[in-house]
Amino acid sequence: MSDTAGNRLDVDHSPGHKHRSSRWSHCRKRGIDGHLRESSSEQASSRRADGDKSHMDKRQDSFTTPESAGPVSRCATDWGSLVEDSEMRRDVQRRRILGSDAAHRERKASSGSSGSCDSREGENMETDEAVLLRRQKQINYGKNTLAYDRYINEVPKHMRQPGVHPRTPNKFRKYSRRSWDQQIKLWKVKLHMWDPPNAEGQQQVLDDITEMALEDVMDIELDFPSLSDCQQSSASSAPHSRSIKEDECEGTPVKLHKADSDTA
Amino acid sequence: MEISTEEYKIQSFDLDTQVLLKTALKDPSSVNLEKVSNIIVDQSLKDQVFSKEAGRICYTIVQAEAKQNNGNFRRNLLNRLQQEFKDREETRKRSVQEWVCYVTFICNIFDYLKVNNMPMVALVHPVYDCLMRLAQPDALMTEAEVDCLVLQLHRIGEQLEKMNSQRMDELFYLLRDGFLLQEGLTSMARLLLLEILEFRAGGWLLSSTAHKYYYSEI
Repeated sequence: MSDTAGNRLDVDHSPGHKHRSSRWSHCRKRGIDGHLRESSSEQASSRRADGDKSHMDKRQDSFTTPESAGPVSRCATDWGSLVEDSEMRRDVQRRRILGSDAAHRERKASSGSSGSCDSREGENMETDEAVLLRRQKQINYGKNTLAYDRYINEVPKHMRQPGVHPRTPNKFRKYSRRSWDQQIKLWKVKLHMWDPPNAEGQQQVLDDITEMALEDVMDIELDFPSLSDCQQSSASSAPHSRSIKEDECEGTPVKLHKADSDTA
Repeated sequence: MEISTEEYKIQSFDLDTQVLLKTALKDPSSVNLEKVSNIIVDQSLKDQVFSKEAGRICYTIVQAEAKQNNGNFRRNLLNRLQQEFKDREETRKRSVQEWVCYVTFICNIFDYLKVNNMPMVALVHPVYDCLMRLAQPDALMTEAEVDCLVLQLHRIGEQLEKMNSQRMDELFYLLRDGFLLQEGLTSMARLLLLEILEFRAGGWLLSSTAHKYYYSEI
């Protein structure tokens, strides 16, 4: 093949794929490195597969624990988690916008708050996306239960009595990390009152209570609000998949604290 | 509301499986969704008719599950898709038919399963990888693969381009090259390639004269 066709013969100039074979390479017997080509298609596709990984996450592949329902998100590159995360992120953004709108309206109306977007003062709302995502995930774990389904079917919102009936913590309010985690725990424990009548529900209550007690102990020593969930994971060996899910690392693991906690 | 077997193209399943699928469509939490997703993926790899339309049934199950505040089916489905994607080259070596079914299926999923009304970003590169593979010289020699390639581009080309136009450009470089230079292409393959080149050049639309050329009876 003639070499006068200008830049069509150059090594592929698209930035993301420097190592790809050039377009005319299928005519060539040897690659740029001098080695005989097996089949340019295989090289291209295997390189693409590696390129894929670098698009998503330069770290290792996802890790899965036998108990968990699937690989862990944010540290993982599995499609299931990637899609869930991007969905949640948009969800959070949308609600954040709605949340701040609601706050504006409320101040003008000068009446008490009610409804799902009741962050009182617009300025004092939680806006950190990472925090909102984490909180939303914790809420999802609680809502993703039979108990929650039974609860919302049994007790309509207007019948709810404060104190008696569990109320989902408002992720848009400013709370310390400890305070928030405690609210979540208490909420979930309360939800257990609506567990279907079988042994599994009772075991989960016990697990949650154990988890609560152990984490209180650990909190005293490891209470740094900026660190990821990893340091919160208790030594609880609860086999239940839900506890493991929420305890696994969501951000970059902080190794020195992980040494203390018994992350699976 | 009776779920039509024909609507979801599930006639090829045995009756028990059909019942299972229909139940999954109505009440996902009452069935083993991992099993359901595996059944759907396995069948898609075998049955070309089903692979073209399996996206619909998946979409319906995902919607139904979302109402129940769950995402297990979608997660299982995607991870299974990812597994098959990793092994695609072996699959192609073993059976071109299965490979073609896989590409059809993943593109169908890309088409149907949207997140916040947008295609799933996680699938964009994998889909492109598959199409690029189909545009390689050895694949262009197989009519079934060319046929698959142009079908997918007709169905999702425009959306795919919106998500990443650079890769679409690269794909079309390959297609032009293939059309011009590849020796041994069947005339059908060349026809299919020319049509898709014109289709994209026309903004993912075929002009009425071009349409007459390609699609009317002589």
